[in-house]
Amino acid sequence: MEKELSNLKGVLQENRNRLLTRANVVATGLGFKVSAGKKTSTLSIICSVVQKLPPSKLAAQEMIPSQVGGLPTDVVQTGVIRAFQSHTACYRPAPGGVSIGHRDITAGTLGCLVKKGGQFFILSNNHVLANGNAAQIGDPILQPGVYDGGRFPDDHIANLEAFVPISFTGGPSGCSTATGIADFLNSIARVMGSDARLQAITTQAEDNLVDAAIARPLNPNDVKDEILKIGILQGTAAGELGMAIKKSGRTTALTTGEIQQVNVTSTVQYGENQTAIFTDQMLAGAMSQGGDSGSAVLDSNNRLIGLLFAGSENTTIINRIENVFSALGVSR
Amino acid sequence: MKDGGDYPMTTPSIQDVKKKHEVKLMSLPGVVSVGIGLGPGGRPAVIVGLDKSRPEVQAQIPSQLEGHPLIIQILGPIKAQ
Repeated sequence: MEKELSNLKGVLQENRNRLLTRANVVATGLGFKVSAGKKTSTLSIICSVVQKLPPSKLAAQEMIPSQVGGLPTDVVQTGVIRAFQSHTACYRPAPGGVSIGHRDITAGTLGCLVKKGGQFFILSNNHVLANGNAAQIGDPILQPGVYDGGRFPDDHIANLEAFVPISFTGGPSGCSTATGIADFLNSIARVMGSDARLQAITTQAEDNLVDAAIARPLNPNDVKDEILKIGILQGTAAGELGMAIKKSGRTTALTTGEIQQVNVTSTVQYGENQTAIFTDQMLAGAMSQGGDSGSAVLDSNNRLIGLLFAGSENTTIINRIENVFSALGVSR
Repeated sequence: MKDGGDYPMTTPSIQDVKKKHEVKLMSLPGVVSVGIGLGPGGRPAVIVGLDKSRPEVQAQIPSQLEGHPLIIQILGPIKAQ
């Protein structure tokens, strides 16, 4: 068998280039011939074609001979063979649904493109593009994100343009600004000889509507106005209870779900010691994991309805796109 | 004010009921969300999400709020992704 196979390899090697020049052939290999739908024990040269056509539709030079170098051939229809579309790879131009992130975070998802002042910007979450309020406007954004091998400056695709600050409720040490103020006041207290020590304490935070930010591409040709595995956006719509939805994200790729709750108020954990309350959210079943944050959420007609940002083991939390657009002053 | 809002005997809308009770519900230990979804028979219901099974908290939450059904779901902790 092995000797036979090595002879066959020789035959294939001699003939494969000639076979691959035929317009319809996308691959050649060795395998058992399939006759009348059943695998036989006859080894053959298998030619994979985009589409099987009757001989009448083929020019003589495009036909695959029934034998090549004394070996039988078999023709199998596989369609066009594409490289697996990884969501964590480097893309130029970069579509929605792929890995992206501020240089100080791991990785999130590039949602889609939005317009402001006639220009296209990258839409994702604050905690993806602006490191949860910690970034400076103009900071570099990498595609793919750092966790997926993105490095500055090679993978620098855009600069942070704007973000909607998240109001955190936080724990005692959850807010670095509050801690800083307490340190400052404590230093005054020491100078004043006071024994009173101030602690940074949790304050009542405002409710949040969105976790959103935009980034300006360095070059408009580096981004693509479509979403990986979904295609072109067909405008926007308002999410409703029971609506079928989908998203394309860095971690779980293309997934589908249904809006199970609207008018949702939810507490969302950011890292170990920060929490924020969000109102007017939409809730769907499990359709995302860490790294999918920032994914655009679409209805079954490819209309943009939301921005995915959080979830639990069995839920996904989505900002309403109306709230995202009005908070950032962007449109489609 | 919605139609009928001037009549005290009218059942308040589920949005109003949810809004009215939301802060109290969210302040209970382990409650991670309050929203509006569909209950049994496709009827709108207030849905309260919990981080885990909490019998003592669940016992404090009524099954109806001013005429609207209330459902408890165990969602797990909700985290930024």
